[in-house]
Amino acid sequence: MVHALRRAGGYLRRGGMLVSIRPHRTWRPSIAIVAGRSRVPVATLLNTAFEVNLAAAESALERVVDEGSFTLAGAQAARYRIYLARPSQVRTYLELINPPRPRFPRGGRARLNAMWTSAPRGARIEVTESLIVNGLRRP
Amino acid sequence: MATTELSAYPGEGFEPRLIERFVSLRNKRVLEIGCGDGRLTFQYAPHASSVLAIDPDRPSIDEALFQQGEGGAPNIDFRLGSIERLIRPGAPFDVALFSWSL
Repeated sequence: MVHALRRAGGYLRRGGMLVSIRPHRTWRPSIAIVAGRSRVPVATLLNTAFEVNLAAAESALERVVDEGSFTLAGAQAARYRIYLARPSQVRTYLELINPPRPRFPRGGRARLNAMWTSAPRGARIEVTESLIVNGLRRP
Repeated sequence: MATTELSAYPGEGFEPRLIERFVSLRNKRVLEIGCGDGRLTFQYAPHASSVLAIDPDRPSIDEALFQQGEGGAPNIDFRLGSIERLIRPGAPFDVALFSWSL
C-alpha cells in the first residue's frame, strides 16, 4: 500500500491531491429494523480480518505523510444507509461485499429473524455503513 | 426509504460530494486506482477533463467498458492494470483517487 501511494504520488503534479475512500475502521456496519420513526437496533456486524486491512491502509497513509511524500489536507468520515425489504436480502447484501465479508455476531441473525416476525407492517431493514475520505496533497 | 437494486455502496452523488470537500474534480485530470466496474467513475467523469481509470480485475474492466459503450463518457480511459505497473505518458494528474482500494 505504501508503494502504491508513492507511485500514485509520482503521477501527480505538484500541489495535486490524492484522495482515499475506504470503509471506516471503527464505525462498524450495523443492522436495525425501522418503521416510521421507530428504529430498533439488531446487531453490529463483525469483520476482524478486514479491520486488519483497514488498519494497514491507515498506517500506509500515515507513513507517506511522515516521510514527506504528502501533506495531510484533511479527513472526513460519513455514514450512509441502505434499506432492505426483508431478512433474506441481508444475506444477498452481504454476498455483494468483496471478501472478507462482515458477519453477524453469534445469535445476531436469529435475533433479526425473531424481531422481524414481530415488526409492524411496512418495516424495513436498515444497514448503516460508514466510510472515511482522506485528502493528501503532494508538496 | 425506497428499496432499490441492492448495492453495498452509497447512493449516487454521495462520494463525489465528499471528494469535493477536498478538491474539485471540475476540469481536472483524474487518475482513479481501483475503479472496479466504473460505478464511481461514471458519477464524476462528466465534470472532469479526463479520467484514467485502472483496475486489475478483468471482468470489472470489461463491465466498465460495456457501460461506457452504452452510455458514453468518452473522456474515461478504462485500463486493465495496477498502479505498480502503470506506464502513462501524459502524467501528471491533478487528482489521484483510491476508490475503495486499500
